Amino acid sequence: MSSDTPASPRRPDGGRFRILIAKPGLDGHDRGAKYVANVLRDAGFEVIYTGIRRTPEQIVRAALQEDVDAIGISLLSGAHMTLVARLTGLLAEHGADHLPLFVGGVIPESDIPELKALGVCEVYGPGTSARTLVESLTVHLEKHVHERPA
Amino acid sequence: MNVLPDDLIAQARDGGHIGMRAGARLMTLLENDPEKQAEFLRKTGFPSGPRLVLGITGAPGCGKSTLVDALLAAFRSLHPDARIGVIAIDPSSPFTGGAILADRVRMMRHAEDPAIFVRSMASRGHLGGLALGVGGVLSVMAWMGFDIVLIETVGVGQSEVDIVRTADEVAVVLAPGNGDSLQLLKAGLMEIGGLIVVNKADKDGAEALRDGVLAMLELADTTRHREVLLVSATENRGVTELASRFESLGSANSHRRSAETRREKARQLLLQLATRRLEHSLENHPRIREELVRRIEDPSGSWTGLVQDLLAAAATADSIQPSPRKPSHV
Repeated sequence: MSSDTPASPRRPDGGRFRILIAKPGLDGHDRGAKYVANVLRDAGFEVIYTGIRRTPEQIVRAALQEDVDAIGISLLSGAHMTLVARLTGLLAEHGADHLPLFVGGVIPESDIPELKALGVCEVYGPGTSARTLVESLTVHLEKHVHERPA
Repeated sequence: MNVLPDDLIAQARDGGHIGMRAGARLMTLLENDPEKQAEFLRKTGFPSGPRLVLGITGAPGCGKSTLVDALLAAFRSLHPDARIGVIAIDPSSPFTGGAILADRVRMMRHAEDPAIFVRSMASRGHLGGLALGVGGVLSVMAWMGFDIVLIETVGVGQSEVDIVRTADEVAVVLAPGNGDSLQLLKAGLMEIGGLIVVNKADKDGAEALRDGVLAMLELADTTRHREVLLVSATENRGVTELASRFESLGSANSHRRSAETRREKARQLLLQLATRRLEHSLENHPRIREELVRRIEDPSGSWTGLVQDLLAAAATADSIQPSPRKPSHV
């Protein structure tokens, strides 16, 4: 897999991009989240993994303390609308709504526009290749670091 | 070169979430450019503290993160008003430079506690058990007003020398099933900590391991004070005792923060930063790369001579100038 993914991009200050991967809500199927964490590590990112059954409050505090460049959440429970709305609300409350938030897991096609309206930058469904994930995320990260307040 | 933003430095003193964010941003800046640490210390007037810096080290899988989680709970009840920081280091891949930082998984029950701040770091190719940026992160925690900081090292076990210089006291964590007493005899591990924690006391073999450690200490240098504690982090057994022993041993070592130690730490850091810059110029300067290829294809002449030539070239190379956009490696 690592040979198939492009070289990792760097932050403008030369540091590695840091990505938080979390699983909010009650379902405990973390294979997808761990797969994504591995893909990102192999692409040269630093991944902060928080494990399963996290509350949106825990995820936001972890993201702020770790000063991550993006947050990825895995959702298979069907509660994505509620959890994402809570997360984006909390991020805005803490002045961090500019952070790219991406979603993976089982999300009905019809819900994607509404998730994006809530502030989700991308939804990666089952079958997303490692290369697609890394390339797409890189675009969002580079856009973010250039727009982020100094 | 960019300077550290003064507004972030001022905001980091705020006790709420504004301070949390500003502090976290400063940590990133110092992690990505450890040479900025001097600027930070100057601008903040060399903040003293934290009162107590405690190190936790030991082989992978011995339960360091779970023990840190249990210690956080113990210190929170011993000192309800204290703010506590955690710096948890995991290894970077030497192949891709990527890392999975998963120490937080064990500490998530404290994630909503406003008195606790956890920061994960990747080792980024630095050997010695910590990351080069740890000093910077620690000084930001001091500036933010943390009372106690726990530092969890990379779990390699036999090269954790940095932590001895950084912490007031270090606990070496052992667990049954991780090798026999011969492992304890190997140089390094047992010389690090004043505290030796035999974790996983709920598992078979923990008491035998404790006895083995005690027997080993009888053979060792008797001038050094060392304590052995049997603990089960998952069952919260022996953790309060560990926290209070840790605290009194650490406080008694405050002499380690003498001017002499500070000078020694500064010397080490300068040496590491210079080495990093030198590696960068050796790896990235086109003239040196060409010279390397030429000399490998024509291996006549001594390697000592080649090394001297390379060092001389590196000393005059343009890339020895500050180049924050291209750090040396991982």
